[in-house]
Amino acid sequence: MAASIWKRCVTAAVKVKCLSPSLSARRWILSAAYTDTKAWEAREKDPQNLAVLATTMDRTYDRNLPVSSLTVSRFVDNISSREEVDQAEYYLYKFRHSPNCWYLRDWTIHSWIRQCLKYGAREKALHTVKNKVQYGIFPDDFTFNLLIDSYIMDGDFQSACSVVEEVMLQEAFDLPSTQILSLYALGSYRAMRPQLTVSEERALGASLLICGMKQDNTVGLSAQLLGNALLGKVEMLEGIHAVFKGMPLFWGHGYLGRALDVMERVATASGDVKLSKDTLDYVNDLLQELSSTSDSDSSGAESAGEEEKKEVTIDEDDQAEQAKLPQYVSRFKELSSQLESEGKVDSASFQASVTALAQQNLAAAEKPDLEQYLSRVQAWEAENRQLIAREKEMRVKAEQEKQERLAAKAAAQQA
Amino acid sequence: MVKKRRLRLIAEMARKIRAYRELKSRPRESQKYALDYESMKRPLTGKMLPVLAWQDVRRESRLFSLLAGMRLFGVGRMFTRKSWLEDHTEPSYWEVTKVKVDYTSENMDHGRAWGILTLKGKQEKDVKEMDKVMYHDWRVVPKHMEEQLKDFEPLPEPPVRYVPYPPLVRAMMLAEHKKRTGSVLAEEPVLPLKRDVLLNKDYFRKQEQETQRTEGTPV
Repeated sequence: MAASIWKRCVTAAVKVKCLSPSLSARRWILSAAYTDTKAWEAREKDPQNLAVLATTMDRTYDRNLPVSSLTVSRFVDNISSREEVDQAEYYLYKFRHSPNCWYLRDWTIHSWIRQCLKYGAREKALHTVKNKVQYGIFPDDFTFNLLIDSYIMDGDFQSACSVVEEVMLQEAFDLPSTQILSLYALGSYRAMRPQLTVSEERALGASLLICGMKQDNTVGLSAQLLGNALLGKVEMLEGIHAVFKGMPLFWGHGYLGRALDVMERVATASGDVKLSKDTLDYVNDLLQELSSTSDSDSSGAESAGEEEKKEVTIDEDDQAEQAKLPQYVSRFKELSSQLESEGKVDSASFQASVTALAQQNLAAAEKPDLEQYLSRVQAWEAENRQLIAREKEMRVKAEQEKQERLAAKAAAQQA
Repeated sequence: MVKKRRLRLIAEMARKIRAYRELKSRPRESQKYALDYESMKRPLTGKMLPVLAWQDVRRESRLFSLLAGMRLFGVGRMFTRKSWLEDHTEPSYWEVTKVKVDYTSENMDHGRAWGILTLKGKQEKDVKEMDKVMYHDWRVVPKHMEEQLKDFEPLPEPPVRYVPYPPLVRAMMLAEHKKRTGSVLAEEPVLPLKRDVLLNKDYFRKQEQETQRTEGTPV
């Protein structure tokens, strides 16, 4: 079985090579080999009756005993229709709120996402990933890639961006394929120019920043600049606590200052790194908008009550930040002129540069991912078999003990 | 002559059952540390939190509120506390090794955690239980900041300074030594300015035993 998977992998790798030139014609990013379900379907099946499993689980929960992760994984593996997806969601929720919640297996999570995608329950998958606290769904990198790709395929960039936000909250931007996919999703979403609330801007900025930190090229640095600028805007409007609460971000003040540091780093760097023009324009507009709102706040005639409330909620450090805004504006003007003079401004848009990066690097990034995934599937299968063997042993032992007890009771009754 | 105590077996049994039931009905972490954010009161005891903590309770989060949203409940990640960030310039953080979540809580918000503490740059060796887990004071250290925190080299501690004893005490010590051994003490007795003694019950008990040994009973 391993040999057949390897053969399929080799043919898939060949397929990847001949598909990459036509990447611009297609709307999706990952190659067909990556999103192929054949390797996953080729695992050994463990057919179980879902109703039986469900009743067992209900009885175990009623008796306040812990349910094993093997039962839950069997349930999720044997889903065969859309209604059963809903039932599985309920059981995942119950498992999360039981003493064994730590032991939810990786392959269960992976198979849950795969089943949701197969039976068209993508929103359900997104809902469980978003409420990961309640469902305990923490997908690994490969699974995240699959989910983002399925959304990009349909052009639903808003949901793709919410998945990227989840990846950011997990800080799971380790694989280059994940980074490229997320930057593509974020870039396409921004190109749509949506109206964003402050919290959405914060999420977008944080994802751009953390993803951009992993890449050291034009795309990465532009993403860092954009991310820092968006977070700086939220910091100016709402204060630093609104920025880092609930997100893996640094708690220090001065995000706009850090954005300008990125620009300075690019300006003084000796390599071929550039910043894309539309990000610089966007940061410029942002700074103008912020300074105009702060001017109107200070000079406008407001009612006394509103002013008092605003002063109470803003911290002293945040006020110090707001006072630095004109300095930031002037420094930005200097740095952007310096960048233009050094020719480090890339006229291609962020979206275009991300697409170019994807075309170059994605095929190379996918290969080690696929190999690692296949080896991981093998490891999961081995662990699954070990768990099944252990369960059988325990059942045999329990039977034996029960027999002994019955025999002892019968002997005691007779005597 | 004391009358022989009646064997009250049922009362013994009732006592044991009552102790068992009390053990079983202990409030869980989620019930003990639940908080009503409007009135700043704990529903279990009805007590209110101290006023200086109210701003922190509104703005920051508990450790388990952060851990609930992380893979494997944040095992292996580093967490700081806002009070440490304000008080110490050197980095202090906990690195989580083991987590026991209270699964009856709604958002997996409470529990106990164990980890390795690094206080002011000095890392300890053993895994200890984290205290003040339920305080609204915790911040997660993002992965891109971990290097910055770990790189810190603490300054070596300055050596312990010694000081001569007050003159009368010094004279008493020298006289006592002469009485005991007959020779004159060669080196100057010095007093270390830092005592390495942990003042707890065992220490005081040992001190009492030593004085009893040297002085004997008062009568």
